[in-house]
Amino acid sequence: MSSALGNFPANADYAALLPFTVVALAPLLILFIDLFYRESGPWRRTVAVGIAIVWLVAAGVLQALQYPHDYAAFGGAFVQGGFSIVFSEIVIVATIATLLLSIGVGRDDQVAGTTALLLWSASGAMLMSGASNLLMVFLGLELLSLGLYCLCAISARGTARESALKYLILSSMASGFLLYGSALMFGATGSVAFSALASAVVTPLLALGAGLFMVGLAFKLSMVPFHEWTPDVYEGAPLPVTAFMSVATKAGTLAVLARFAYAALPSDHAAKILVPLWVLAALSMVIGNLGALAQTDMKRLLAYSGIAQVGYIVAAFAGTTALGLRYALLYLAGYTVMNLGAFAVVALMSRDGDAVVGLPRFAGLAYRRPWLAAAMTFFLIGLAGLPPTIGFTGKVLILAANVGAGYAWLAGILVLSTAISAYVYFKIVRVMFVHADPRHVRDERSRNVLPWVAVAVCAVATFVLGIVPLTPSNVLPLVK
Amino acid sequence: MTVTALVLGPILAGLVIYLIPRKQSRTATTLAAVIAALTFVLAVADPHAADASRHWLSRPFDASFHLGFGPTSYWIVLLLSLCTFGGALALSGHRSRDTAAQLLILQGAMNGVFLAKDLLLFALFWDLMLIPVFLVLIGAGPHARAAWKYLIYNLAGGLALLLATAAFGIVAGTTDVIGNPNAHVAIGETWGMWVFAGIAFAFLIKTPVFPFHTWMPDTYGDLPAPVVAVVSAVQSKAGLYGFIVITLPFLGPEMAQAQTLMFVLGSVALIYGALAALAERDAKRVVAYSSLSHLGLILLAIFSGSALALAGAVVYIIAHGLFSAALFLTLGAVEQREETRDLARLGGLGARNPKLAGALMLGALAALGLPGLAGFSGEILILTGLFKAGFVWPAIVALVAVVLASAYMLRLFQGIMNGPEVPDLPERRDLTWAEGLAIAPLVIGFVLLGLNPGLVISVLTEATRVVGSR
Repeated sequence: MSSALGNFPANADYAALLPFTVVALAPLLILFIDLFYRESGPWRRTVAVGIAIVWLVAAGVLQALQYPHDYAAFGGAFVQGGFSIVFSEIVIVATIATLLLSIGVGRDDQVAGTTALLLWSASGAMLMSGASNLLMVFLGLELLSLGLYCLCAISARGTARESALKYLILSSMASGFLLYGSALMFGATGSVAFSALASAVVTPLLALGAGLFMVGLAFKLSMVPFHEWTPDVYEGAPLPVTAFMSVATKAGTLAVLARFAYAALPSDHAAKILVPLWVLAALSMVIGNLGALAQTDMKRLLAYSGIAQVGYIVAAFAGTTALGLRYALLYLAGYTVMNLGAFAVVALMSRDGDAVVGLPRFAGLAYRRPWLAAAMTFFLIGLAGLPPTIGFTGKVLILAANVGAGYAWLAGILVLSTAISAYVYFKIVRVMFVHADPRHVRDERSRNVLPWVAVAVCAVATFVLGIVPLTPSNVLPLVK
Repeated sequence: MTVTALVLGPILAGLVIYLIPRKQSRTATTLAAVIAALTFVLAVADPHAADASRHWLSRPFDASFHLGFGPTSYWIVLLLSLCTFGGALALSGHRSRDTAAQLLILQGAMNGVFLAKDLLLFALFWDLMLIPVFLVLIGAGPHARAAWKYLIYNLAGGLALLLATAAFGIVAGTTDVIGNPNAHVAIGETWGMWVFAGIAFAFLIKTPVFPFHTWMPDTYGDLPAPVVAVVSAVQSKAGLYGFIVITLPFLGPEMAQAQTLMFVLGSVALIYGALAALAERDAKRVVAYSSLSHLGLILLAIFSGSALALAGAVVYIIAHGLFSAALFLTLGAVEQREETRDLARLGGLGARNPKLAGALMLGALAALGLPGLAGFSGEILILTGLFKAGFVWPAIVALVAVVLASAYMLRLFQGIMNGPEVPDLPERRDLTWAEGLAIAPLVIGFVLLGLNPGLVISVLTEATRVVGSR
């Protein structure tokens, strides 16, 4: 059953694919309904986004019901279980938040299209969460990326085209690495299933393939030194799309990386093969934060911050311990709410929810819009790893996991880079709390108030997760 | 219940104060002072309050939200509520609502540090107390540099503490150990020195001790005087308190190994702080450097391993808190009147402001160790303890610093109160009743503690027990 390509679609278990199917089919409905509008109006966007949110919530609930069980589809190519469900739920949360942010962005007649693309991208990320076969990984990744290429280009800004093209070319290169690595691993083992890789004899070919595969994933995760595209792409893309990329893309790719690291490598050689990954994590933490020091555009700053945060999460995998995986998931959930919260605040600072927001726009925010400044301060405190947030609790747990797994050096680098990051995040806090002449600051308010919902939910989640760090127990990835 | 209220109450009240309109600053500061007074009453009324404990983590190590009074922390909590009360009353200016709120949040966070019976919770509050001070600094301070120095230095320490806490938890299996006489935790050879190094790094920065002190004069100079009073009186004791309740019981061998190094650092801090205080022209920074000197003395006492010196350290922690808060509040009152802290530009205030001069005189006398005031009780215990334990040289260094203390404290007093009146300075007005009310409890505190050492008997016994049990 493991390497059977022959019976690929035959014994598909539709239960496993049900949440994915719900999310993947919603765009058809949205586009179909959109056909009947003769003129543009605010209704058009509300209906599209409303349907999307309802269907996402439905998919989320379905998945939550599935949580205690394990399902497999396509002969084990797609495995739905605790591991994939946690990742998929994060993707769904990120997508809903993105929709809340995006309702005001773009023309009325574009919204159904962008919503559809976003949902297909999200379904790609969900597919990646459950993929336990090299082909399924590629399928999910491409489904995720194809939608994003279009979404990046959708805004009328000049930089959007640049951003989309850059993303297309560099992302294709990453896919190339991934495919080449997959091909080599297939050549070495004669199978595309993760379970077959795990029991294979390690040959240089397999190690090289695994290396290239991880390079492809590191590209997608924008880990140093494969991160250069990230700030430019984030800057050019519309704000909601950036928010989506910073969370959902990372969640999907991290799911693949985690399943690969934990379950797809021969256990006696895994530690050696994965060493470069920990080095990349260390580099990402340090260089991501150093890069963020000089940024003044919020999207670029959050891009660099995301590079560093992914470094923290990957560092938690070090030693591939079960606890490390649980804390990585916890921190990923925390990063999701903190980062989306920060993006929602940025969205609330421009009229259409998608303007270039630089650091000077935050000047004196605490005096003009105290609630917004308070929320932003809270998210930044969390991203900097200070209490009382999940940023603090998550980091302590990752440190403990690293120390327990014998990777104290990685914990040391994590601490060092967190100290650097304090300047990055508190620079924004400082700007907000320093008095500014109101005549010199452009004070725009978003017409769309829905991001406030995202801000409130994210703030509560950031606090509650920090006090009650939920770490689900059955999250070890399965391969069938 | 009581202990939880002491931590969460001020924090929540601080957040509520943010809802008061910025213009009604008097309401805000009065409310803050009332809350602080309530925490004092609460702690006095219920000195045997039961611990509050809620389970937090079971993996990778056991941790709880465990708060409770310890014999040392009880007194520090009382001291903190007095300082916060005084600080809130002394607040003025257009930012006083924000500062009042942050002062209360700071009080709650610091109560958390001192009441935490779990090392991880201790580390949590340790990091939390950075935030209100940073916010006050960026709001009030003229120099952004001071805020960055404060944040980066102290966060570096806090993160080292966090890493050490994680390692402690992994090795020991639990962090719910502070003040628990039955906790037998052996960190072992491999990790002991690393854990100790991380914890000590954090504590030395926070205290601060030479050579990690460079953030301190800038921070103390830029913070509004009412906030410095709290930070200098109590926050600077967090590290020393940590040495007593965390490293002394659980990392004893490592402390013994680090003794020489700490003696050198403490001695350097003693002399360097005293000399810098003698040379400094900024009145607030004089007291800041004097703190550096005094806290070096406490460090010597803690690392001497002598029960007597340790008891002295605990007494001196409280005493220094009382008189340094009184000094900073008085200097704040001076600065507010004269719009300068420069000793060369001040002078002759004493003749027309007897209350102000009296407050400063009492504070200065307590700081220089006049017998009968609290500073003396601590110093004599520490010096005797050091001498008896055979540490002659550190005792001599400390004696020299004590002599220097008289010089800089009298110089401070003379520079402000004596001499010819400086003509071009603005209005002169003696202490208002609010300012008097802010300073009076602190003065009463250090007079009582000096006259009646019986107040600290329980502290003495606990400190002795900690050392005696080893």
